[in-house]
Amino acid sequence: MPAIKLRVNGREAAAEVDERTLLSTFLREQLDLTGTHVGCDTSQCGACTVDIDGITAKSCAMFAWQADGAAITTIEGLADGDKLHPMQAAFREHHGLQCGFCTPGMVMTAVDFAKRNPDPSDDEIRHALEGNICRCTGYHFIVDAIRTGAKAMRG
Amino acid sequence: MSKISEKNLIGESVRRREDFRFLTGRGRYIDDIKLDGMAHAAMLRSPHAHADITKIDASAASEIEGVLCVFTGAEWKAAGYGTIPTKSAVRKFKDGSDLKEPPHHAIAIDRVRHVGEIVAVVVAETRDIAKEALDAIEVYYAPLPAVTGLKQAAAEGAPQVWDLAPGNVCLDFGLGNEEAQKKAFAEADHIVTLDLVNNRVTAVPIEPRGAVAGYDAASENFTLWNSSQNIHANRDTIAEAALKIDKSKLHHLAPDVGGGFGAKNGVYPEPILICHAARLIGRPVKWINDRAESFLSDTHGRDQVSTVQLALDKDGQFRGLRTETLGNLGAYCGTVGPFTPTGGSSRTQGGPYKFDAIYYTAKAIFTNTAPLDPYRGAGRPEASYQIDRIIDYAADVLGFDADELRRKNLVPKAMLPMKTPMGLDVDCGDFPEVYKRTMAMTDRAGYAKRKADSEARGMKRGFGVCAYLECTGGGPKEHAVVNFRDDGKVGLAVGSHSTGMGHETAFSQLLAGHLWLAIDDVVFTQGDTDATPLGGGHGGSRGMEVGGSAVLQTSRAVVAKGKEIAAHLFETTSDKIEFEDGSFFEPGTNHTMTIRDVIDASNDPDKLPDGVQPGCLNIGTTFERGIISIPNGSHAAEVEVDPETGVVKATHYWVVDDFGTIINPLLADGQVMGGVAQGIGQALLEEIVYDETGQLLTGSLMDYAMPRADDIPPMHVGYFEDAPTAKNLLGVKGAGEAGCVGAPPAIVNAVCDALKGYGVKHIDMPLTPEKVWRAIRAAQA
Ligand code: FES
Ligand code: FES
Repeated sequence: MPAIKLRVNGREAAAEVDERTLLSTFLREQLDLTGTHVGCDTSQCGACTVDIDGITAKSCAMFAWQADGAAITTIEGLADGDKLHPMQAAFREHHGLQCGFCTPGMVMTAVDFAKRNPDPSDDEIRHALEGNICRCTGYHFIVDAIRTGAKAMRG
Repeated sequence: MSKISEKNLIGESVRRREDFRFLTGRGRYIDDIKLDGMAHAAMLRSPHAHADITKIDASAASEIEGVLCVFTGAEWKAAGYGTIPTKSAVRKFKDGSDLKEPPHHAIAIDRVRHVGEIVAVVVAETRDIAKEALDAIEVYYAPLPAVTGLKQAAAEGAPQVWDLAPGNVCLDFGLGNEEAQKKAFAEADHIVTLDLVNNRVTAVPIEPRGAVAGYDAASENFTLWNSSQNIHANRDTIAEAALKIDKSKLHHLAPDVGGGFGAKNGVYPEPILICHAARLIGRPVKWINDRAESFLSDTHGRDQVSTVQLALDKDGQFRGLRTETLGNLGAYCGTVGPFTPTGGSSRTQGGPYKFDAIYYTAKAIFTNTAPLDPYRGAGRPEASYQIDRIIDYAADVLGFDADELRRKNLVPKAMLPMKTPMGLDVDCGDFPEVYKRTMAMTDRAGYAKRKADSEARGMKRGFGVCAYLECTGGGPKEHAVVNFRDDGKVGLAVGSHSTGMGHETAFSQLLAGHLWLAIDDVVFTQGDTDATPLGGGHGGSRGMEVGGSAVLQTSRAVVAKGKEIAAHLFETTSDKIEFEDGSFFEPGTNHTMTIRDVIDASNDPDKLPDGVQPGCLNIGTTFERGIISIPNGSHAAEVEVDPETGVVKATHYWVVDDFGTIINPLLADGQVMGGVAQGIGQALLEEIVYDETGQLLTGSLMDYAMPRADDIPPMHVGYFEDAPTAKNLLGVKGAGEAGCVGAPPAIVNAVCDALKGYGVKHIDMPLTPEKVWRAIRAAQA
């Protein structure tokens, strides 16, 4: 079993993992970071999206051992204690979530997108979400949330 | 202090209390539950649509290290478990004979009848080991001919799914006055006929189904955590019908549920099977479906084919409507499956339009496919599609203006209250006004320019409308109980169930608003059979209608009891006491005490009247709905079609709904928009497809096209609030399903409008690029 070392949400983590353990499984089962959700088995839904060394990735689409040495941020690492990240706050303000299951992946994708595109058009936001499926909201309020969240992030 | 009254917080877009935990990854969904000693179950599912099981050899699987037990239908049968019954409200054929209900065991006993049916269960130390062991089980099948399509299954000589259901007919059904309908048809100037397919779809909550079962040998009690929307009713069925234990022996709970839309309403086999497994191995057992299994084993929805006939006079006046439907049930009855194509699709026939007579008739048909059960709307989207699609079709073939036809035939306000020809009690509303307000939102003035812009780019633009009428449903009773705690918080438990709709906010909003308490002091519980004596769960847009009414009723009971306490302390009678601004007081005196004082007094025997016990404010009441409510509204859509590729893009969407009183507009918007997106998905993208041998061709998110953000247009939602209903305490009419009731006809009408110039009359859903492209070519040929 490969031994890996990585930083998750600013904390060192070391573990032995089975070769076939997915990163999403590792985060959920071994680190108890259950905010990363698994909604599919074909890398389509985006519920498992995390940030790996500054790039968002679907954690169900890679093995845990491939993250050896990486710095990972999951949804649990975004807020500052009880103070929501501006993107999280915008999702709440705009009712950008209902059941909350797609939400961690949506928010992680949105934060990364807003960093790269601080002043996006609605069309750009909708395209940026092509890897994230939400069944509850109909996306309209997610688009509103990301527009507002991006604005708040640019300060 | 800001002015608060009984209406306080009603109508306010209070932001959601549940969001903090969901946004920070602290939600607790079924797969987040970890118990000491927990084992993991995996299901072996049939690869055949119809086959006899001749032998199962699980010996190799049992020997794999880490496997704790393997069981099959043979053991299940020997253990004497019961079957899962259907609760369909329609149970009789037209001739009075009983519906044909085949035995639905949680696991196949000796024959499988759809791909995905469970044939064996493995329980192991880890999920990986359990899944691996599935491959080591050898099942010998003798395949039988299968049938999946509705028309094929209903045809003479079709393979029979069940011997007890000749012709694969589970149930037939008729509603309305057939003689009057025939008379109206005979007198009308035109009869227009349209065959419609309501495509088979599935709910795809992003959280797959799952459950965790525990068993305590000493007490013989089961605990079942279940990603379910209907905890109480399903507790009764799982305990009494399947496990054959008293329902008090099963504690049924739902943690946070990641979407449901009907697909998590019913009783499924897997939770029952893992209860057995937990008892067998004496350890808690978890099972989580993966997405591929979800497509195979979640209940599907819709799947109806209908012939719709509209009779109208030469001035466009509607006279009669007749709909003949075949509805697919899959291989079993489902929890309420047979109701959807029969009773469920009949009640809103004809929509908000005036008819002399309507007749609806349907047959529910067994096929070798996964069982069907309610999917958001369950029958009302079908009915709405039928009437609003045939209106546009009739306008096109007879040369009417569709807008004029609608305006002419909408039931005028003066006719309300009325009973529709289908027997629905429509108490209030103003359909023409709601329609007018929708049209006023749609920027008709700018349409010509948008159309010209589209044309300049080689695109076709179209506009479509649907005026819908729907009705609530689901369990008629709901219980709400409050508990004033020592820490100053107030517990509120309700038996209705949110799977994303925000009950934790909306119900707390009602209670806090009524009692003048801080909403953050309300501690909310749902989905727990120990928390409320009864509960109607989720379904039929009943949450606010029945659950919200229960909360208000309980709040009122607390105030009434509070008045008794205040009266005792003021040495007067409670009829002299008023409650306002958070205080109980006796007008004309200086006697006043806050609700907080009254809550404190309620726990102090010295401050209570004789015979009143401490804790007397901890009250639970049950609200029972008498007659179902009638949400209604109008949808309008604009689409752009690329005639070269057949790609449809919905560009604009407008809705005005009459949901009666709106408690929290932001949450109501969310319900409408989510429903509209599902309706657009059904109209343009989604379809569950089986091949003729019964293999599922759309078994993953790569094959089943879910709407994504760029498939859905921005939406404009408005409300008509001038007609609150008197059928419940809040005046609400139900908001949960309307979106996907109105959207499919609005979208298909818009696409057909765009393609009118080519002579395209109708395209069956989903309007995929290929179908649209072919329809254009066929119409031109
Ligand atoms: S779970 Fe990773 S994309 Fe669906
Ligand atoms: S909020 Fe439920 S899937 Fe997006």
